[in-house]
Amino acid sequence: MQVVLGTLLASLVPVVGFNAVMTSEHFASFLVFIFIHVVAFAYYIKGLLSQKMFKVAVTLVASVGMVLCCAVVAVLIAMVASSPTKGWSGRSLSLLDPTYASKYIPIIASVSEHQPPTWPSYFMDINVLAFLVPAGITACFLPLSDASSFVILYIVTSVYFSGVMVRLMLVLAPAACILSGIALSEAFDVFTGSIKFQLPGISRNSQIDVRDTSSAGVVTQDDGVKTDKNEESLKERPSKKNKKKERENAEKALIKPPLEKRLLVLPLEASVISLLLLVLLGAFYVVHCVWAAAEAYSAPSIVLTSHTNNGLHVFDDFREAYAWLSHNTEVDDKVASWWDYGYQTTAMANRTVIVDNNTWNNTHIATVGTAMSSPEKAAWEIFHSLDVKYVLVVFGGLVGYPSDDINKFLWMVRIGGGVFPHIKEPDYLRDGQYRIDSQATPTMLNCLMYKLCYYRFVETDGQGFDRVRKTEIGKKHFKLTHFEEVFTTHHWMVRLYKLKPPKNRIRGKTKKSKTKASSTTGSKGSGKRNPWQ
Amino acid sequence: MREIRLDLLLLSLALLFAPAFSDLLLSKVDRRIDLTSHVVRITSTLKVENAGTDPVSEVLLAFPDTQAKNIAYLTASTIEGKGKTKSSSVSLPIQVVHPDGMPPSLTWHSVSLLKGLSKGESLTLDVLAVFTHTLRPFPEKITQAEIQRVAFQESAYYLSPYVVKVQSLTVKHSGQFESYTKLENSRASGSEIKYGPYENLPSFSFSPIVIHLVNNQPFAVAQELVREIEISHWGNVQVTEHYNLIHGGAHITGEFSRLDYQARPHVRGASAFRNLVAKLPPRAHSIYYRDEIGNISTSNLWGDSTKKLLEIEPRYPMFGGWRTSFTIGYGLPLQDFLFQSRGIRFLNITFGCPINEVVIENLIVKVVLPEGSRDISVSVPFAVKQWEETKISHLDMVGRPVVVLEKTNVVPEHNQHFQVNYKFNNLSLLREPLMLISGFFLLFVACVIYVHSDLTISKSSTAYLAKLQWDEVQATVQQVLNIINRCLTIHGKLEASLRDLSRTGDVQACKSARKSADSSLKELSKELRPVLILLQSSSQAVQILPKVEELVAKERELQEKLMLKHSTVVDCYEKKSGGREVENRVASIQQKITALRQEVDDLLEIIDEI
Repeated sequence: MQVVLGTLLASLVPVVGFNAVMTSEHFASFLVFIFIHVVAFAYYIKGLLSQKMFKVAVTLVASVGMVLCCAVVAVLIAMVASSPTKGWSGRSLSLLDPTYASKYIPIIASVSEHQPPTWPSYFMDINVLAFLVPAGITACFLPLSDASSFVILYIVTSVYFSGVMVRLMLVLAPAACILSGIALSEAFDVFTGSIKFQLPGISRNSQIDVRDTSSAGVVTQDDGVKTDKNEESLKERPSKKNKKKERENAEKALIKPPLEKRLLVLPLEASVISLLLLVLLGAFYVVHCVWAAAEAYSAPSIVLTSHTNNGLHVFDDFREAYAWLSHNTEVDDKVASWWDYGYQTTAMANRTVIVDNNTWNNTHIATVGTAMSSPEKAAWEIFHSLDVKYVLVVFGGLVGYPSDDINKFLWMVRIGGGVFPHIKEPDYLRDGQYRIDSQATPTMLNCLMYKLCYYRFVETDGQGFDRVRKTEIGKKHFKLTHFEEVFTTHHWMVRLYKLKPPKNRIRGKTKKSKTKASSTTGSKGSGKRNPWQ
Repeated sequence: MREIRLDLLLLSLALLFAPAFSDLLLSKVDRRIDLTSHVVRITSTLKVENAGTDPVSEVLLAFPDTQAKNIAYLTASTIEGKGKTKSSSVSLPIQVVHPDGMPPSLTWHSVSLLKGLSKGESLTLDVLAVFTHTLRPFPEKITQAEIQRVAFQESAYYLSPYVVKVQSLTVKHSGQFESYTKLENSRASGSEIKYGPYENLPSFSFSPIVIHLVNNQPFAVAQELVREIEISHWGNVQVTEHYNLIHGGAHITGEFSRLDYQARPHVRGASAFRNLVAKLPPRAHSIYYRDEIGNISTSNLWGDSTKKLLEIEPRYPMFGGWRTSFTIGYGLPLQDFLFQSRGIRFLNITFGCPINEVVIENLIVKVVLPEGSRDISVSVPFAVKQWEETKISHLDMVGRPVVVLEKTNVVPEHNQHFQVNYKFNNLSLLREPLMLISGFFLLFVACVIYVHSDLTISKSSTAYLAKLQWDEVQATVQQVLNIINRCLTIHGKLEASLRDLSRTGDVQACKSARKSADSSLKELSKELRPVLILLQSSSQAVQILPKVEELVAKERELQEKLMLKHSTVVDCYEKKSGGREVENRVASIQQKITALRQEVDDLLEIIDEI
């Protein structure tokens, strides 16, 4: 029921649609669903029919069903085999084979969420749970029941998936919570049990308390206070009798362990201290969670802050640029930027973008990537054909904002090159190294992204020192011919360029008509002057 | 520029044929034009003299239509009292009139004098006219590096239906100018350009002049400003102002280079403005400054006991033609602005916007009164459009009455107080809290009723009876389980006493423990009997009964074995036999006990599940 309902609800989401039934990832759950129903139906029939009739029916249904199943399976296999990825989407394929995305689909690999996580990120995200989970697993094994084996399977799969992609840390979180809950509960059980067993004060009056009564018997017999120390001093008394009894006691305990778990008594002080420590651990975990939620997950990555001697310094450049776009451009102007900023531009600047964070159209993203990695003229032609008015680039070189477009640029090249083969990644690398200093390749230094980012950058400090790449830029003085700067934010983090209108065309045309009459060399000349004809 | 001149020429031609109007004459006219900001203020001092015989009670002021449509504010005042007595200025009522036989393309305003001007008397009138949009940027488009120049046109002579005997004109500007129309008696000195004095000019004299000057003042124009003043009788007046701002000066053309702007902001970006200062009332609190994408972090607030200054900086520097929109909000203490007299409350608050030198093309002031206000009336010192709306807010039943005032072309001179009078019953304050309280009360009452009511349709149906019986059975089974658990606890005590015995060797204590356990076990079995009988009698318990009986039997067996073990061990201790021997004798019993206990545990679980 839930499978059907869930699938129906999921397919109501426009992006999902029929993918919920059409892709191979969901086959497993459907198969289980069908299998359970078949079994339930068989039992139902078994109840209705007599033994003989049932056998006949089974043979009938089995033979017909087998044939039908074979046919369906054959059709399915044929359908699945016809698609190159066997009906699996790139994201789930890269779950099964972590190297898949980086080999075939750079757009998936380019997203930072799809990278495998680092150890610190585990510790950052689940903190003490990272240590409690192994304890929880051991606790699950102690009596291995159906439920605990399910939990173990759950944690194992989720650990695997979270190891493939950072974003699947979300899958790990509930499993880790459950297991550390089990671990904590077991630990509390042991500690509180041993405390209760040894605390005399509680049990003196209450006789009904279920767990305490085992110790109550002790107390009612000899009113002496029996703490561990007393026991130990008793042990040290050189009495043969006692020793014997003790041995006997120990042997008894050896026979009993599965039943009398409560007899696993820890020293009182030790258990009190460990209880306190556990509570402290939990408290610190809460503190950590609040901190992580506040700093890592709530701080909007759109407003950056830095703490300086003068206090808090706010870098609000993104919103500055988006506000400028929304107020000072025409409503139907289109903005081209790398897709990371697509949703932001749509939401905050209220302008149409060419590509956005819904990355389903790989070709479109590749087109923008190609434009960014092409020389100015070719890029202008691509953007003009897309009816783009403004180009937005994010540049962190002035203030040292590391996740800017220059650092993302190689992905643009890769994604662009995946669709348009004339963009080749080695052209942008010098001996396999990505660099923007004087050693960089001419392709790199002439591509649109480089030019838009570093346009007039050298005039800020006279050298053009990029604070992110920690180097001087390679090409310092250049002019833009097809783009003009229309806005740059306060810290230069967002730079907006406008495509220059194709105003040369009219002049070129008139010249052409003139030169057509006169000579052919003239038309060649006009062709040169008019690059986009 | 050429068009402007042509206009003026036509106008002056038309004026040539106009007749003289009345017996008044202006013996002296002094005009001072202030061009230092983007709001043009013309202050004219007129000395009016009645040269005729009849007393005159009104003075006409004429403005060419091109100017008149930009008049934002016009007042005339006269100074009462002669030299020695304290002079106080009294403002005079002004209204638009359309006198007959006047040349076209002129707009007339008539100033009514307090008392008629009889023959030979004279009077000094101070007329302040404020114009917006009269400084035209010229050129209309400039690059980032250029300074902003504006053109201003006026008449060198005072345009009046009366004969003017002596007049002069002083134009004050910021210090730099490109050119001005040179007439006789015109000269420029420092930050002033002077025309005149001219003597004995006939009525409707007109001589167009154009002054082309540098003006880098912020041309902040709010195309629309919506001020919402919401009164809460709980003690707060919340003011929210939505600005739609544009730089009304020369539009920027070409590139905007942040580099140039940052390197030399006063040269490359002279025409832009960076910030605006709003002067808020001294006790304003909870001030915020935001736009549709969130808080704008570039603002500053400081103040003292007389005022609070809020310096706001738009997200980006405002160049010519650039727009922005933002919202300012603040709360004010109610007692500073709301007063009460004879059952009528009145709000007394400023009309215009708190930012200085902003021209507002369309100002909408909404006063949201609390729900239940009656008899609303507004008094504004100048003409406004006015209507009423209702606003539905949280917990409102009929909506709050809203007085909307609209005025176009608002200049800082309009920053005057206006009053909204209304009646309001203090009991209405309690309406919303009472509504909440009663709502929650009703909710809880409903819950209580729901829990306590039996919603079964038929009390005699078999299903209902079965359910009742089943509940009973469950209760009895629970009782049985409780008793069994207590038995098990006693078993535990027995075991503990044995362990104690092994440690201390105190046989007597062990025996007494045994005794007490015996007696309590007997009591428990007594308790158990009636419960079991009850269970057997119930028809619903058929399913569960065998299990329960089995449980009881097993428990009893367990009990016996334990007793046996106990007595054996105690026996051994009494005989002081060796540990090994005890062990041997107990081992078999122990095994049975273990098995039994396991079974009892299983049974308990099964019954629990049922």
